[in-house]
Amino acid sequence: MSIRRILVIAKLTGVELLRRRIALGLLTALPLAFYGSQVSRGSDAVITGGVAMAFSIAGASIFVALTARPVDPRLILAGYHPTELLLGRLLLLELFGLLVTGAFSVIMVLGSNPAHPWGLAAGVALVALTSVPFGLAVGGVSPHELEGVLILIGVVGVQLTLASNQLATKFLPFWGGQRLLDHSVNQIPMGAAVPANLAYAAALFAIATYVMTRRAPAVGGAKRHSRQTLAVTARGLGHSR
Amino acid sequence: MPISAPSVRREEFTIRAVPPLPALHARGICKAYGGRRVLDDVSLSVAPGEAIAIIGENGAGKSTLMRICAGLIQPDSGEVSVSGRVGYCPQEPGLFDLLSADDHLAMFAPALGLSRREAVHQGHVLLSEFAFPLAQRAQCRHLSGGSRQKLNLALALLGGAHVLLLDEPYQGFDHGAYVSFWEHVDRWKREGMGVVVVTHLLADRELVDRVVELRIAAEPLVEP
Repeated sequence: MSIRRILVIAKLTGVELLRRRIALGLLTALPLAFYGSQVSRGSDAVITGGVAMAFSIAGASIFVALTARPVDPRLILAGYHPTELLLGRLLLLELFGLLVTGAFSVIMVLGSNPAHPWGLAAGVALVALTSVPFGLAVGGVSPHELEGVLILIGVVGVQLTLASNQLATKFLPFWGGQRLLDHSVNQIPMGAAVPANLAYAAALFAIATYVMTRRAPAVGGAKRHSRQTLAVTARGLGHSR
Repeated sequence: MPISAPSVRREEFTIRAVPPLPALHARGICKAYGGRRVLDDVSLSVAPGEAIAIIGENGAGKSTLMRICAGLIQPDSGEVSVSGRVGYCPQEPGLFDLLSADDHLAMFAPALGLSRREAVHQGHVLLSEFAFPLAQRAQCRHLSGGSRQKLNLALALLGGAHVLLLDEPYQGFDHGAYVSFWEHVDRWKREGMGVVVVTHLLADRELVDRVVELRIAAEPLVEP
């Protein structure tokens, strides 16, 4: 594991992400649109807007994972470890998530005046934190962008329709953040929201790592052994001229 | 005081010719996809300083064999041994559309044990030999197919390689770049690299030391 390699991947992931200006703008506008559409309904707007942050960060993570997929085998063949590639992307996307979180939290605190402003910021940050490994895992298992985006819409969409105290929502990855947002505006107890969300994030990163490692080239799998024969022929289906 | 020459102990050696180890040796490679046998007991050796062409119909398993030799996919059975580093140039250039050539060189640098500066310098030398439009500093999405392929090839060569696996490496090349490519193959051979080129072009067969033809299996694989 090399810090330099991780930082190089993080930097160039950032360069590539910044060049997707239109997509990035649209992704960032999504949670704002959700928040804006609900702002007249009081506390609901904060919870909806905060959870919708997952569209933005997880969406960017899915695109990063899928864009890199054709190149990753060559990078691994050249000498990268799959975990270095993932950690580089995780680092950059988490930084991006925290930046968006900061700006979005200020807007929601000013617009909704929650009882616990720091709780609101922590809730949005928790959603962003979980969104990155979620997006990397979904990007790892999805065959194409369409499937990845549909999974994202499905999971976040269902999470948005459920209240944070319902049983079903506890099985979704953004429950902790949703609960913290609910706490910030409605002062309900947080319960095990934060540790549960961190566990989800860790499990999702483990899935992303597993998928990436499984798909990695079999560089070590090409058997290296002492060679005794020097046959320069192609047998079976092939033949040499 | 006179300086005495160091004493040298003479030993007797028996020198005999030893054939060079192949740069790449694949033996008994089998691979099936979806019940269809693509490669059936295929063996292939490439010596250092030798260039071979792999030919065959579409679907004969040329790219699959290259990917197996590169270590990108596992064969169902068989063994591959390689002396030194493999440089692999895939048929489809796997590049980041929004990154430039320099960005790609910088990305591959730490994996190959090079500094950014070394990688960019080496990459520029390689790319300029193939008349890549370096001055444009364009993102890959703005490059022509031939230029993308030149970058693809340069990434395979970056950091040096002992074996080059080139899967139809000159798609989109103009005539000058195509001629230059084969001049480079000659040079790589002289430098001791083993070079494998997948090709469909008849003329290429005269430019290599050997030709290996892969044929499509007559019988589909029947799984028990």
